[in-house]
Amino acid sequence: MTGLSNRRARIGRLLAFLLTLAAAMAIASAAANGADDHDRRAVARIAAPPLGLPPVPVPADNPVTAEKVALGRKLFMDRRLSRNSTMSCAMCHIPEQGFTNNELKTPVGVEGRSLRRNAPTILNVAYARAMFHDARDDFLETQVFGPLLARVEMANPSVGAVLATIRGLDDYAGLFERAFGGPANAHTLGQALATYQRTVLAANTPFDRWYYGGDQDAISPRAAAGFELFTGKAGCSACHLVGEESALFTDHGLHDTGVGYARETASDESVMVEIAPGVSVPVARAVIRSVGLPPEKDLGRLEVTDDPDDLYKYRTPSLRNVALTAPYMHDGSLQTLTDVVRFYDRGGVPHDGLDPLIEPLGLRDDEVAALVAFLESLTGEAIDDLIADARSVGVGG
Amino acid sequence: MRHPMSRGLLAAFVFAGAVAVTAAGPIGPARADETCQSPYLPKITGQEEFLYVWTLGMEGVGDQSDKLVTIDVRPGSATYGKVIAKVSVGGRHEAHHAGFTDDRRFFWAGGLDDSMIFIFDVHSDPSRPKLVKTIDTFVKDSGGVVGPHTFYALPGRMMITGLSNANDHGGKSALVEYTNDGLFVATHWVPDGKDMRGATGNGADGYNYDVRVLPRKNVMLSSSFTGWSNYMMDFGKMLADEAAMKRFGQTVTLWNLHTRQPRKVFTVPGAPLEIRWAWGPNHNYAFTTAALTSKLWLIYEDDAGQWQAKAVADIGDPAKIPLPVDISISSDDRHLWIDTFMDGTARLFDISDPHNPKEVYQKKIGAQLNMVSQSWDGKRLYFTSSLLANWDKQGNDNEQFLKAYTWDGKQLTHKFTVDFRKENLGRSHIMRFGARSLYSG
Repeated sequence: MTGLSNRRARIGRLLAFLLTLAAAMAIASAAANGADDHDRRAVARIAAPPLGLPPVPVPADNPVTAEKVALGRKLFMDRRLSRNSTMSCAMCHIPEQGFTNNELKTPVGVEGRSLRRNAPTILNVAYARAMFHDARDDFLETQVFGPLLARVEMANPSVGAVLATIRGLDDYAGLFERAFGGPANAHTLGQALATYQRTVLAANTPFDRWYYGGDQDAISPRAAAGFELFTGKAGCSACHLVGEESALFTDHGLHDTGVGYARETASDESVMVEIAPGVSVPVARAVIRSVGLPPEKDLGRLEVTDDPDDLYKYRTPSLRNVALTAPYMHDGSLQTLTDVVRFYDRGGVPHDGLDPLIEPLGLRDDEVAALVAFLESLTGEAIDDLIADARSVGVGG
Repeated sequence: MRHPMSRGLLAAFVFAGAVAVTAAGPIGPARADETCQSPYLPKITGQEEFLYVWTLGMEGVGDQSDKLVTIDVRPGSATYGKVIAKVSVGGRHEAHHAGFTDDRRFFWAGGLDDSMIFIFDVHSDPSRPKLVKTIDTFVKDSGGVVGPHTFYALPGRMMITGLSNANDHGGKSALVEYTNDGLFVATHWVPDGKDMRGATGNGADGYNYDVRVLPRKNVMLSSSFTGWSNYMMDFGKMLADEAAMKRFGQTVTLWNLHTRQPRKVFTVPGAPLEIRWAWGPNHNYAFTTAALTSKLWLIYEDDAGQWQAKAVADIGDPAKIPLPVDISISSDDRHLWIDTFMDGTARLFDISDPHNPKEVYQKKIGAQLNMVSQSWDGKRLYFTSSLLANWDKQGNDNEQFLKAYTWDGKQLTHKFTVDFRKENLGRSHIMRFGARSLYSG
């Protein structure tokens, strides 16, 4: 493992150097092509990620340029890229809501169709080694076709139909040519969207300034105590890794925490429904079933591998910016960070497949609060810039 | 059958200012037909002849597209109670509400999903409406408003409430004003917590639903529902989503009608939906029903001339969430029909004392029930079934109908039913009345 880590570190340093070089060239190129300040700053973020983040991995065949960033951002925000022009990528990955959706446990797509899983944030997605909660895709460049084509998301009938839509929009004239030297095709569509998403970086958090920057006052004593628990008694860092020079707060692995098991085996006869602020009433499951389709099953990673050992396994998310990305867990079933900490304090949901790393923690209330304070210290400094960047283009019709 | 106010007089009424003219005067109080329309519309005082039913396309039913369905309700007609025309607009747009222009010559119908607006000519042949114009720029025109809902006639204008927005599909929204010719005029954003826009009150949420005016008091009311994500979502999924259930409107906003400036925001918890002003010349009040909390609210001007809001009655058993939906006030302000969706029941409230309404009658109409329209004389009522495509009931309870009844002051008597599934039409939603006599003089 140590050898692997060293090799990764060397590759990382090399990547960082190459990216810096490439970014410098891209900035010069962008200036010549009239790219705006948002594009230039986005490219610069990739070249020099904020404190706490490692170098950004970028595929060799898709170097970052300001033109690609501009095009990818426009595509990401454009509602016309769905079958009936109602859904863009940004309608579920809403910039002002942590690039996810704080208002829904799981999103809705074209014509209100139901999704099973919570919208993951785009923040720092550049570092994800696998896409989707079940890790079914390896690359941002190819991931984009999932939502574009899924009947329950953007519902385009084919890749060709998406490309035809883009070709039919006057405001895209010349943009692919400028970014890629040729017209839009499946390859460049994926590359453009991936490039923009790769620039949505947020770090230099109070934690980063404290842990990596040496600023002793950057976080509160309570948050510092929370970090001690995070890496100690609570054991969170076993999966949400913290490195010596940077931290992504994920092991890039998949685990069964019991959330998936709980969803599939729920047998409550009623659900508490909030009908006005602070006013909830029990509603019988039979009533809920009378006005809704049965929820689709969700078996986690098993759906990808057919391996029974992968039942209810889901990807470990990064915890960066986690205070911005409620609700939590792959199904959005927990509403607050306190709910999440208490969930793990209880030892998840015990069942046969529960990951052995998860066990009751015996946390005191002040320890729960300290962990929450620590998690709240993981919010990046430049979120407003990322929102302004995203909103620098229209939403398409 | 046609209201005596000619269009010339109506125009004079408009330019003289509604406050002065409506209170009294030679042309009498400005009333509209079917009791829930804009006071600026000419009205049918006698027998309506046609029902226009704005119908949602339904997967697996007919051409699966939204359509305007015309039903003959002329007594004695060979086609009484039958579908005599239908105009499919192609595709599903979440057909919902619709309304006439102030000259009652055109019928605007909206799609809550993709914000399309379809304009039908209903005057050339009232028995066969024609689609004459489509507005596909509502979102762009309005600066990001999504979900055109209420289409409410103002002089020369169509006031449209939006339910959502194109940034996040949440509930922040606005009223959007067009000319009768379909030209965008202005967007009026509902006050929210960040920008009260000069209004007083607490808890403004920016949400929107219905709009109604009382010209002689120069006031306009808007209510509040929820954004695209919720109204398009599977109802069962939403009820079980704690995050989604926090995203319902809790407000009614009072506006200055003429300046379109918000004046006061009332806290009305639980998604206040339809608004109905009383008709009486001295009746300075309106009703609305909160869908989730199942309460009837009164918005009224108090003795000190201040506008107030208070809950005045429960509708059914609120603990069972009967979900009051459409309401219809009688033209004499004595009764209010309230449909409750979940139990498919029409309930009649005695509102002669508006501060103490009492339920006096109820009748189950179907497995689910949404819209109700009554004739000006209160003798005929029509009901339809669909709430929203993804909120309607599942399985056999997903009845889709138009049912016609007569009301004799004591009970509803069934006259006919049009089964919208058997007829391959779809999900029946809002109804509006037509008559040839409106255009004959």
